Amino acid sequence: MQTAPAQSRPPRTPMKGYMREYGWAYLFILAPVLLFLIFTLYPVASAFLMSFQQYSVMGSEWIGTDNYTRMVKDEVFWKSMWNTVLFTVGTVPVNIIITYALSFFIFQMKDKWQTFFKATMYLPAVASGVTISVVWLAIFDPTHAGLLNRFIGLFGFDPVIWLGKSDTALFSLILMNWLGSHGAGIILYLAAMGGIPKSLYEAADIDHASGWSKFWRITWPLMKPTTLYLLVTGVITSFQVFISVYLMTQGGPNFATTTIAYLIYNTAFNFYEFGLASAQSFVLAALIIVISVIQFKYFSSDVEY
Amino acid sequence: MARVEFRNIRKEFVDDNKGTFTAVAGSNFVIEDKEFVVFVGPSGCGKTTSLRMIAGLERQTSGDIIIGDRVVNNLHPKDRDIAMVFQDYALYPHMTIRENLSFGLRNLKKPKAYIEQKVAQAASILGLESMIDRKPRELSGGQRQRVAVGRAIVRDPQVFLFDEPLSNLDAKLRVQMRVELSELHKRLEATIVYVTHDQVEAMTLGERIVVMNNGIIQQIASPTELYANPQNMFVAGFIGSPPMNFIDVTKEGNVLRMEGGSFTIPDAMARGLSKYENKPLILGVRPEHISGEDLPGTPNHEYTYAGKIQVVEHLGSENLVYFRIGNRTVTAKVHPETTGYPGMDKTFIFNFDKVHFFDPETEQRIDW
Repeated sequence: MQTAPAQSRPPRTPMKGYMREYGWAYLFILAPVLLFLIFTLYPVASAFLMSFQQYSVMGSEWIGTDNYTRMVKDEVFWKSMWNTVLFTVGTVPVNIIITYALSFFIFQMKDKWQTFFKATMYLPAVASGVTISVVWLAIFDPTHAGLLNRFIGLFGFDPVIWLGKSDTALFSLILMNWLGSHGAGIILYLAAMGGIPKSLYEAADIDHASGWSKFWRITWPLMKPTTLYLLVTGVITSFQVFISVYLMTQGGPNFATTTIAYLIYNTAFNFYEFGLASAQSFVLAALIIVISVIQFKYFSSDVEY
Repeated sequence: MARVEFRNIRKEFVDDNKGTFTAVAGSNFVIEDKEFVVFVGPSGCGKTTSLRMIAGLERQTSGDIIIGDRVVNNLHPKDRDIAMVFQDYALYPHMTIRENLSFGLRNLKKPKAYIEQKVAQAASILGLESMIDRKPRELSGGQRQRVAVGRAIVRDPQVFLFDEPLSNLDAKLRVQMRVELSELHKRLEATIVYVTHDQVEAMTLGERIVVMNNGIIQQIASPTELYANPQNMFVAGFIGSPPMNFIDVTKEGNVLRMEGGSFTIPDAMARGLSKYENKPLILGVRPEHISGEDLPGTPNHEYTYAGKIQVVEHLGSENLVYFRIGNRTVTAKVHPETTGYPGMDKTFIFNFDKVHFFDPETEQRIDW
C-alpha cells in the first residue's frame, strides 16, 4: 500500500477560504456604503454638531443648546410649525380620498383606458415642481384674468387675492395640492386593486353583499397597506413642503404660508444662521419620525400584508 | 334542497381579437334533489363555466337554468339561494374564521344569536372550533378548505356548488377531504354540483358523473355505468387509470386482424359487427382485462397476443406492463407475481367478455 505524498502547500485557513469566496461581494457592497457614509451620514452628523454651535466659516463656537432655546422662543417657528400641521392635515387625508376615488373609477375601465388615465394622472409627477408652481401662479392670478377668479366670477363672486391675503394664502396652497399630482398613488392603488382576487367579489356576491358592503368590508380593508404607505409618505412629504411656498408666496403674507421647511431655508440662506437652521432641521426630522411611528403603531395593527 | 335543470344551455365568449369561443354547446340535464353530481373533463371543456352559470357568475348565451321550480336566468347570484366553494377558497384574508363564516348571514341581517348558533354549528361539523378566531393565513390548506365549506353550509342553501375544491391540496389530504365531503353530503342531504378534472375524485364522490369535452356533454351516468359502458372513445379514455387501450383491428368474418396477430371472435360478436366487414374498427380493452399467460385463474386462453415487453412498472399491488401493437402502446395491469421484464417476449391474454368496439370515424361505441 502506498502512502500519500506529503502536502507541499499549507492548508487553507477558514478565513482565507471565506474571503476568496465572498470577498467580491464585500467589494461590491463597499461602493454604496462609502457613498452613504460620505454623502449622507457625514453631513447629518455634521449638521447635528452644527446645531450646538454658533456656526461661522471662519470658526464655529460651541454654544450648547442655545440654538434649541432660541428656536422654541421664536414665534415664527411656532407659526411655521402650525402652518405645516395645517397644511398636512388639510392635504394628506383629502389627497388619499381623491386618489382612492380616482383609482376606483379608473379600475372599472377597460385596459386601454386604464393605461391612458394612469399616464395622464402621472404626468404632473414627471413635470418639475417649478413648472407646476408657475402654472398655478397663473391660475391664482388676483386680477379678473386669473383662471380661478374667472371661474368663481361665473357664480357672481368678486376676484380674490388668493396668494396675497393671510386668510386665503395657505388654503390656496392646499387647493393646489388637492388638484395636483395623484399619479403615483393611483398607480399604487390600481396595483393593489388588481391584486385582490376576483373570486373574493364573486364569493361576496353569493354571500349577499351589497356594493357598499363589498367596498367597505372587502376592498377598503385590503387597501390598508397601500393607504398606510400613502399616509406615511404623504405626511413626510407635506412636512417638507418647500418648492410651492418658495416660488409662490415666499412664506407670506405675514408668515401665513411659512412652513417649517421654508423657515429652515430662510434661516440658513437668508440669515446665515446655520446652527439655528440645523436645530430646526433636527426638530423637523424628529417630528417626522415620531409621527411615522405613531401612524404605523395605530394604523398597521389590523393591516393584512 | 332543490333540483337543478339545464335546458338547451349555450355559452359563447366573444373576444374582439380571437372571435367567438363556444364554452358550452347546448347542454341538457337534470340534477335531482339531494343528488351529488360531478362534472368532469379536461381543462377548457366547459365544466367550470357550467357551474358558474348555475351560480349566476356567468350569464348563458341562450337556454334556461332552473333551480327548484324557478327559472333563474335573470337572478343575481345572491337571489339564487346557492352557495359556492371556490378553487382558491376565496376566504376574506382580513377577516377571522368566525367573520368569514358569518359574512353571508350578516349581509342577510340575521339576528346575532342565530348567526352565532349557525357559525358554532358549522364550526363543530367541520372541526373548526379551536381556530375560529384565527385568520385564514394562520391555517393549513386543508383547514382553509374546511372554512370554505363552512361558509357554504351556514346559509342552508338549496344547492352547493364546488369548483375544484381539492385541487390545491396534496395527495394525502385530498383523499382525506374526499371522504369528509362524501360524509358531509350524507349528513346534509344536500344537492351538490361538483366540478373536477380528476377522474378519481369524480368516480369516488359522484352519484352521477357528467363527462364533458369541448363544451359538449359526452355522457351522464353513474360511475359504474361510465366505467363499464362508456358511450364513446373520449369517455372510455378519460375514465379509468391507466386509461382504456385502443387497438386498430380489421374484421374479416370471425377474425379480427391486427398488426402482429389476430383474434377469432364468437359468431354472435361477428354478427353484431357485420356492418364493419373488412373495415377498420377500434378495439377497446381496459388494462385490467389483459393478463399475463402465467397468471393462475385466467378466464380462457382463446384470445392471446404475443408481444414484446417494453416497460414494466412495479406498483406493489400490481404491475403495469407496456407493449406495442402496431403503432399504439398497450398497457396491461397484471398480477405482481407475473414474470416479465423489458425485452421479454410475452403472451398476453385478452378478456373478450369485457372488450368494447368503437367506430373509428364517429368514435362512438358500437353496440353489437
